Amino acid sequence: MANEYRHNRLGRLAWLRNLLVLIAVWEVVGQLKLVASGALPAPSAILVGLYLDRADYPPHVWATLQAAVLGFIIGNSAAVVAGVLFVISPLALRLARGINIAIFSLPPIAIVPVLVLTLSGMTARVVLAALGCYFATMTATVLGLSQTDPRTMDVVRAYGGNSWTIMRLVRLRSALPSILGGLRIAAPNAVLGAILAEFGGGGRWGLGTYLLGSLGRADPPRLWGIGLVATAIAGLAYAIFALIGYRITGASRAVTIPASAAPASTDEKNRTPLIRASLLMASVILPLLFWWLLLEAINVPALIAKTPMGVIDYLFIANSATTAQLKLLQAFSQTLPITILGLFAGLAVAFLLAILSETFPAIARTLLPFALVTQTMPLVALTPLLVLLLGRGTAVTLWITISVTFFPSFVTIAQGLILVPKSALDVPRAYGATKAKELQLVAVPASLPYLFAALRLAVPRALLGVMIAEWLATGTGLGNLLNQSRGYLDYGMIWTVAAASVLLSILLYQLVVLAERKLLGVMGMKTSE
Amino acid sequence: MMNDRSIRLANVSKTFYTRSKEVKALENVSLSCEPGSFTALIGPSGCGKSTILRLALGLETADSGIVRIGGTDPEIATASGATGVAFQDSALLPWRTVESNIALPLDVLGKKRSEFSGYIGDLIRLVGLEGFEKSLPGELSGGMRQRVSIARALVTSPGILFLDEPFGALDQILRRQMNIELQRIWSESRATTLLVTHGIDEAVFLADRVAVMHNRPGRIVTIIDIPFHRPRSKELFSETAFHKLGDSIAATLHGE
Repeated sequence: MANEYRHNRLGRLAWLRNLLVLIAVWEVVGQLKLVASGALPAPSAILVGLYLDRADYPPHVWATLQAAVLGFIIGNSAAVVAGVLFVISPLALRLARGINIAIFSLPPIAIVPVLVLTLSGMTARVVLAALGCYFATMTATVLGLSQTDPRTMDVVRAYGGNSWTIMRLVRLRSALPSILGGLRIAAPNAVLGAILAEFGGGGRWGLGTYLLGSLGRADPPRLWGIGLVATAIAGLAYAIFALIGYRITGASRAVTIPASAAPASTDEKNRTPLIRASLLMASVILPLLFWWLLLEAINVPALIAKTPMGVIDYLFIANSATTAQLKLLQAFSQTLPITILGLFAGLAVAFLLAILSETFPAIARTLLPFALVTQTMPLVALTPLLVLLLGRGTAVTLWITISVTFFPSFVTIAQGLILVPKSALDVPRAYGATKAKELQLVAVPASLPYLFAALRLAVPRALLGVMIAEWLATGTGLGNLLNQSRGYLDYGMIWTVAAASVLLSILLYQLVVLAERKLLGVMGMKTSE
Repeated sequence: MMNDRSIRLANVSKTFYTRSKEVKALENVSLSCEPGSFTALIGPSGCGKSTILRLALGLETADSGIVRIGGTDPEIATASGATGVAFQDSALLPWRTVESNIALPLDVLGKKRSEFSGYIGDLIRLVGLEGFEKSLPGELSGGMRQRVSIARALVTSPGILFLDEPFGALDQILRRQMNIELQRIWSESRATTLLVTHGIDEAVFLADRVAVMHNRPGRIVTIIDIPFHRPRSKELFSETAFHKLGDSIAATLHGE
């Protein structure tokens, strides 16, 4: 124990040392304007900028904070309630699948103009922040609730406890670390959502607005300063939930590995093909219905707000349909390959980092702050700087895609590695297994459900990352088409691209789900879905 | 409290379907435990011992046959608090203290924990865990966790007690101590008890009757009466008659 403690101390010192070295290198690079003639300013220059602008920040920060916090509360409350509902009723999960994926896949960039047009200033920000939280927390809630130790649930059932009793006494508490893991991902998302909405839509205050106003001033230190402030807010939110999670996980770790197999759900098997087909249909139709009802409810002119029928009309029936189809197909062929490449690259980085943080906690502690920075820095603002650093090719797209996908994946995979039961790890340890062997034999297979959860989480984000890069840097694919259409006030195309990208997301997502079922089924494990 | 404290299974069959094959866990099993009796179920791994217990607790439903606990359906009996159970794996909630884990059935049954605090203290003393009231399961040894699980099974003062290899993970010495303790606890409560075990010693020492099961399909082949007087002392473990009876049960187990 004492030895371990000493190691921890050393690890913490190494973290500080590495950080100082990095900042020193950054300072030198910045001072000498080594990177793209000053696009990367020295930390001292950023600090000076922050000091000079100190009077500007409070109202902007306050506005962003309000939207982010409100969105965080609303989005996560909805997510936890939905997660509980989905675990108690697999039918509800099945029906809501379309809505869930659609909410997560909505490219914020694409819906910002629509949100701003249809909702009043603050509401659009709150909605986007809430949307950013929902999926991560809902997935984490469902995962945590369904991975509850079945033995402990048996005890409650043996005293006549029903689903709600089990939920109240066992599942919710045992899912808490997982839910907190979700909140940890959601916190930076809420800040990002609020800033994106500010960036895209008017208003006087907010870090996004501030950023937008500063873009044209060729003042890199200020852009970086705003980015750092946004990062600090997101990082603080992350740290709070990481700390709570850390304190709670200690008492939640299963003491032994479950002896009884998880009861297999027979629901799916008992359903006839007809019922299954109609469930699938319903899950596809529900989001469309939702989309249509929402537009009906807020009453926006049909010219701007296209209903599902409007999109079909635009793409297949109207005179310009053939041109629209061609444009869309071309964009698709550019976006798809890079999305898949970016997806697996992001997941690989996340996996390596998770393994690394299990094996060498000090390295993880050094890397995590930077990982968090890339996560919370408003990419929209940094993309122009990234273009200066990396050019306008595939590299910049990959960079952005990896940086939006790897972080939530990392948190999910690391969660899986942490929750591996102690006794299961003791077996290889007892045979003198190395850390690598231990990971290979026990930790990685045992956390496979989490790995797949990470992949599912990463699919829509990869597409989002690619589209941001296409919009702001490379000028190709779906992102660029969206941007162009915005310029031409081609509302039909804006809605079509949004719908098409959501459909693409859903398709990729379903492929992952299929692979997950196959593999986990063969391994006798339960999917988290 | 229920007047009838019997456990009755009549012609019960249960089949499990896995991905590749079907397993006949139980075929035509009948077992009747009179109120206040102590019955041990013994058999090889996978013979369906635990399935009988899960059926009796309403955790599984039988494909055919009748299961009556205290003269009623298992679900009704368990929800009324008439039964107690200790599983082979202590199955404690890792985030609850010893005290709080013992109180779990009360929470499930919607009973006021405060009314039982004195009794919970008694139970903790009974299983020898004084001073560990506020400990978490992760801080206890395997034997201590199992004793918490026994105390939890007793917290509702059940008329019917199910024990699923409760001492399976304990060492021989501790196991014998726990057997003597359990006999004492049982003779005070006189709960109708069904003990699932794979320890012949344990079965003979504790039970009035030992039901021997065979595998594939799971079935009860014979029920042997244990004639020793109660209370049984630890000297019984070394008596010749005790070993003879054990040997004959072993022979039946191996199908001789």
